[in-house]
Amino acid sequence: MDSNKKYWKGLEELNKTPEFVEKNKHEFAEPIPIEDVLAGGGLGGKTPRRDFLKALGFGVGAVTLAACQKVPVHKSIPYLIKPEDVTPGVANYYSSTYDGHAILVKTREGRPIKIEGNPNDILSKGGLSGQAQASVLDLYDVNRLKNPMKDKSDYGWGQADDFVKSELAAIKAGGKKIAIISSTISSPSTLAVIADFIAQFPNAKHISYDAVSYTGIIQSNQNSFNKAVLPHYSFDKADVIVSFGADFLGTWISPAEFIRQYVQNRNNKSLQSKKMSRHIQFETGMSITGTNADVRIPIKPSEEGMALINLYSAISGTALPGARPLKNNIADKAITLVAKELLAAKGKALVVAGSNDVATQVLVNAINSLLGSYGNTIDLDNPSHQYAGNDKEFADFVSEMKGGEVDALFFLNANPVYDYYNSKDIIEGLKKVRLKVSFADHSDETASVCNIIAPNNYYLESWGDDNAIEGYYTILQPTINPVYDTRQAEHSLLIWSDNAVKDYYTYVRNNWDKNLLAKGGLSGRGGWETLLQTGFVKAAENPKGAYTFGRDLNGVVQTVLDHSAQLADGDKVQLQLYQTVAMRDGKRANNPWLQELPDPVSKVTWDNFAAVSPSDMKKWGYEDGDVIKIEGNGYAISLPALSQPGQTQGTISVAVGYGRTLAGPVGNNVGKNAFPFHSIRNGTFQTSATVTLTKTGDNSPLSQTQTHHSIEGRNSIIKEATFTEYLKNPAVRTGNGKDHKDYNENNLFWQDYDHPQYNWVMAIDLNACTGCGACVVACSAENNVPVVGKAEVGRRREMHWIRIDRYYSFNDNGQGGVTKETEIAKLEDLDHVRVVYQPMLCQHCDHAPCETVCPVLATVHSSEGLNQMAYNRCVGTRYCANNCPYKVRRFNWFNYWNDSRFENYLQNDHTLLVLNPDVVTRFRGVMEKCSMCVQRIQAGKLKAKIEKRPVKDGDIKVACQQTCPANAIVFGNANDPNSEVSKALTSERTYYVLEELGVQPGIGYQVKIRNISETEA
Amino acid sequence: MASHSESIIREPLITGKDITYAKITNDILRPVENMPGRAWWIGFTIASLGACLWVFSVSWTFWYGIGEWGLNKTVGWAWDITGFVWWVGIGHAGTLISAILLLFRQNWRNSINRSAEAMTIFAVICAATYVVSHMGRPWLAYWPLPLPNQFGSIWINFNSPLVWDVFAISTYFSVSLVFWYTGLLPDLATIRDRATGIRRKIYSVCSFGWTGSVKTWQRFETVCLILAGISTPLVLSVHTIVSMDFATSLVPGWHTTIFPPYFVAGAIFSGFAMVQTLLLVARKVLGLENYITMFHIEAMNKIILLTGSIVGVAYLTEFFIAYYSGGEYEQYTFLNRFIGPYWWAGCMMYGCNVLMTQLMWFKKVRTNIQISWVLSIVVNIGMWFERFVIIVTSLHRDFVPSSWAMFYPTWVDMSVFVGSIGLFFTMFLLFIRVFPSIAMAEVKLILKSSSEQAKKKLLEHGGLDKEQVEFYKEALVPFDSVEMADYEKI
Repeated sequence: MDSNKKYWKGLEELNKTPEFVEKNKHEFAEPIPIEDVLAGGGLGGKTPRRDFLKALGFGVGAVTLAACQKVPVHKSIPYLIKPEDVTPGVANYYSSTYDGHAILVKTREGRPIKIEGNPNDILSKGGLSGQAQASVLDLYDVNRLKNPMKDKSDYGWGQADDFVKSELAAIKAGGKKIAIISSTISSPSTLAVIADFIAQFPNAKHISYDAVSYTGIIQSNQNSFNKAVLPHYSFDKADVIVSFGADFLGTWISPAEFIRQYVQNRNNKSLQSKKMSRHIQFETGMSITGTNADVRIPIKPSEEGMALINLYSAISGTALPGARPLKNNIADKAITLVAKELLAAKGKALVVAGSNDVATQVLVNAINSLLGSYGNTIDLDNPSHQYAGNDKEFADFVSEMKGGEVDALFFLNANPVYDYYNSKDIIEGLKKVRLKVSFADHSDETASVCNIIAPNNYYLESWGDDNAIEGYYTILQPTINPVYDTRQAEHSLLIWSDNAVKDYYTYVRNNWDKNLLAKGGLSGRGGWETLLQTGFVKAAENPKGAYTFGRDLNGVVQTVLDHSAQLADGDKVQLQLYQTVAMRDGKRANNPWLQELPDPVSKVTWDNFAAVSPSDMKKWGYEDGDVIKIEGNGYAISLPALSQPGQTQGTISVAVGYGRTLAGPVGNNVGKNAFPFHSIRNGTFQTSATVTLTKTGDNSPLSQTQTHHSIEGRNSIIKEATFTEYLKNPAVRTGNGKDHKDYNENNLFWQDYDHPQYNWVMAIDLNACTGCGACVVACSAENNVPVVGKAEVGRRREMHWIRIDRYYSFNDNGQGGVTKETEIAKLEDLDHVRVVYQPMLCQHCDHAPCETVCPVLATVHSSEGLNQMAYNRCVGTRYCANNCPYKVRRFNWFNYWNDSRFENYLQNDHTLLVLNPDVVTRFRGVMEKCSMCVQRIQAGKLKAKIEKRPVKDGDIKVACQQTCPANAIVFGNANDPNSEVSKALTSERTYYVLEELGVQPGIGYQVKIRNISETEA
Repeated sequence: MASHSESIIREPLITGKDITYAKITNDILRPVENMPGRAWWIGFTIASLGACLWVFSVSWTFWYGIGEWGLNKTVGWAWDITGFVWWVGIGHAGTLISAILLLFRQNWRNSINRSAEAMTIFAVICAATYVVSHMGRPWLAYWPLPLPNQFGSIWINFNSPLVWDVFAISTYFSVSLVFWYTGLLPDLATIRDRATGIRRKIYSVCSFGWTGSVKTWQRFETVCLILAGISTPLVLSVHTIVSMDFATSLVPGWHTTIFPPYFVAGAIFSGFAMVQTLLLVARKVLGLENYITMFHIEAMNKIILLTGSIVGVAYLTEFFIAYYSGGEYEQYTFLNRFIGPYWWAGCMMYGCNVLMTQLMWFKKVRTNIQISWVLSIVVNIGMWFERFVIIVTSLHRDFVPSSWAMFYPTWVDMSVFVGSIGLFFTMFLLFIRVFPSIAMAEVKLILKSSSEQAKKKLLEHGGLDKEQVEFYKEALVPFDSVEMADYEKI
């Protein structure tokens, strides 16, 4: 029903009086006196109170609006045309190669963020070294050269090409020499490019120069067997391994591969089949290999020769001329025992030596020949191509250069001004060279004295290939466009030599089509694409020939003895030069992840030092950190001393690879350069010398991540047993079985968590872990762990989520482990030290002590058994860290991301691109710790969900596990009885660190087993 | 109370001749009603410089981060929580004096309770600043409070002793403040009545319209008793809960059931020492010897001796239990206090707290003002070291030897601590200028019964046991505010 009723509000409205009509025209009953106010009346106008309120309301409103902060503009621009293979948020993996290992490069939105091992890599089966893990960071190094340089000023590629080509033409006509100096190149295509270049310029020569050289081994094989090759060793086939100073688990030839091989005879699987290899190490300084050995005998460099002579004599049964018993009684006895063991394991024995001396290596060859190693543990027919440097050739070249016979020089991945022992000669010689070209991507020590720097692409920007061992060809493919205006060195060489193929990609393809694809049974475009996916081809192995050592040893013995006598000269201290696992030869000195990676043995970061035996420290009156001047071979450096148990008395060890001066802001002047202590003898670089030491009076404290080195008898943290004990009772030390005490019975206060679907746990085999530290770098890369620098590490504030604890124990007259500080102080003999490594990370306790004490519930338990950290909720009381018995929580003391006092790699927009976008960076004042790569768990679960299947064992690999060459870390779901981790945890050797606290840690460790009988030293 | 006579053998609580109610008011209000003297200015200058240092160093910490302190991955708490517990402990004497001694009718408390309570409040303020400044993200310091929030279902962790701490400290602070202020009301009214101008206005607001009627007094006394009743459990609870910050953890050296009583005793111990430190100076400088007498000093020394001995027994018990438990980590921790790198801190702790306080068995020591003052400082040094030993020495070498580390304080650590002492004294010195440092009303209560002149009247009146009179006279000998010549005639 329509209604025509009209409501009126007053008689005025009903009657529509003129006043009402007039007033009704206005919105407000009273007019706003804006004119009054504006005319200067101000609030003194007609109706000031109301207007005041209006003005106030408007004003507050306006101010509020104005005060609303503008949201910061993030320039995230969506793809206009989305590349086919890029889905934002989803990682792509590309197969590639690093140091001959097949790898996978993880890229996100077109940028490489992580290097992961290719699980099918035949060298290390997916394991990677810390260096390989850290290599991704160097891609984003802002100190890389951004374009070609000529005489230290910017230059164009076109100009550079014209200049180099015209110079080369002139030099070719002049007839003087052209040299390409490179570190070992094992890439077939690069070698082909160089061959083509030499074909174009017949007066050119390619010289391989390795700062840390294996010429001694190569030459000795030439002498012994007429094969100038670096053999391929198989530690997995050896039951008895004897090493004379070869750090094969740390730095020697192919450590990641050797770790994998070595551990195969020592890991859980091997132990369960009652088998464990035996490893005896004779060495000077404490190497990571020495720390893993069952028996380690410290010897001086001067004693090594005689030890080998005696070993040969003992094995062959006939004393070599000149063989005398060693002055070092323990070593002497050990040699006799070792000879017996080696003979007993004939055909399954391996003797290696780290020396670069030809004569010494010939002696080793002779021993290995007696032991039947050739064809079994040593393969000369499928040799390694990882090192091919020729010391003599390079030394000869330096004198030629000094003689003015060289007109053009190309440095490819070689930096002799830094790492050649006589860099003065090089600098002098370079002055006489007309055209000096460096392909370095930094203006390093050598590049900075060249005319032209033609910066090479980084390997992640490059095409190429590699051939680490005979028959194993890996492909290098770019994962990002060149970040700067750089060009691949091979490309430059192709252009400069006017090759028919100018483009290196085409060159590589042609080379593979012609020579290499067929070796893997591939061909054509399809074959190439398969290759890009699998990453490598493996040709059939060459048949192994029989090698018997047949040369006369008298001359060799004389040379060895002469050398030993020279080293043993007088009272001088013997210096041994070595490489650290993190820094190796110093080429990656500008990488902060590596600088902050603690040395596995000494736990020192950001420095090299003089390792001195504790007895010598006392004898010479040194304290840790006392700066010692080391003089020898006409060179002197001052380095802090560090007491290193196991260091041979009367010797010191100094790491090379430090003391770069033009590496970049991170690596410059970190430590001192020890390369000049090298000398050349019989055509090879020698890594030991005699030196004199003087105290300078300064003290420069070293930044160690661990400063207490013994376990104090706390055998619920570290458990170890001998192999004999293990054979008698596999549950020795753990007491697993019915007599095992259950600490979880008296569980009064704790609520038990259900883990309905998953229970993520970990198993770590102390017998597999070699302590190499690759996991530490992998974790930093995966989880955006900040670098804090030397000073902060010295204040014990490193941020690593996983660390490797290293404990020494000492022998007291063969009575086994002395581990208490007070008792160690009373010991006389600190040379015979045993070492155990323990990777330590958040244990993800089921009854986590950190969780109960957090006032704001920033750290809580997940239904999947994880101890989680909610960074945004953390207020930073640090109570959780105090209450963590494992001390694995790390606090952001500063804002490492933009505090200008921590000028590290993270603080520029460019380097930030390396960050893993799946992991947030943490702000100042927040606690952080291992999350068990929760982002990987989440990704694995999501992938399974999309594929509509449950998560399979092995789908999810955490970063530390993935990179571990020893496969010591196993991660998985404990709810699945068939998972690898569940099986590993059922091992009788499994124990939980500090389990008596009842915190129910989620990581089971497996007892360390040493293959020693109780009676021997 | 003034109507009956007190036994002659009790020492007087107010000394001096011709003490009248007016004289008490005049004496006590002298610093409030007059311009400060030179001593005050010197003290205040030094103290406020300290307070400025505190402001600077705490701002520095806020600006750059906790990393400016010497803490590390192993030692997550050091001077910060040491300072916190030390200040909370010092804050303990106030409530004990005002509440427990009131309930026990210990009239001697009337002379010292005002300063002691003020000290409590200032000490708790200092402690609270540590709570906030030690946080990694101090701007989120309100998150441990159970406030409704917009973050969803995020709540606080009632399992965490730090949350208990928040409640304990805030309750303690608010109750102490109310109690102290309530006690101040009649005195504020006295000042108001004597003041003029703007001061009168301020004090009349502050005195909440106190009229002095019987009804007001009656209510005042009731409120005081009720508040004393509320405060009494707090004396025990606050430090019990502070001790649970440690006792409920896993760390060897912290995980100890003896902590609550041991901490409470230690807190009273250090609180009385701090009262002693302050009042021995204040009575001299402010001329209050007649109201804070040798009796008070000795009584407080006796409490220091008692609580110090309790603490000593607790130390021995800890050692015994460490031995008896057979726990290797526990044993190492206690051994480490003597043979570890912080052995000197352990020696300071045991030496200052146990050995030095045992000197107070001697009456000569207890009644010697200089020695008492030195010992009160020694106790506070010892108690600081006790907390340092418990916190740093336990943390720096706990379970996993690889993580053992040393703690080295930075200049910021030191400045925050020294600055907090400056802050405390600044507040205390301001307090004695604006509020009466002795509860006038309460002292007046006992003038008729327990003062020297009342006792003298009794003596003059005669008829007392001779032996008792002799005893009384002997007791007066150590009093520095009594002229013994007066008694020779009697």
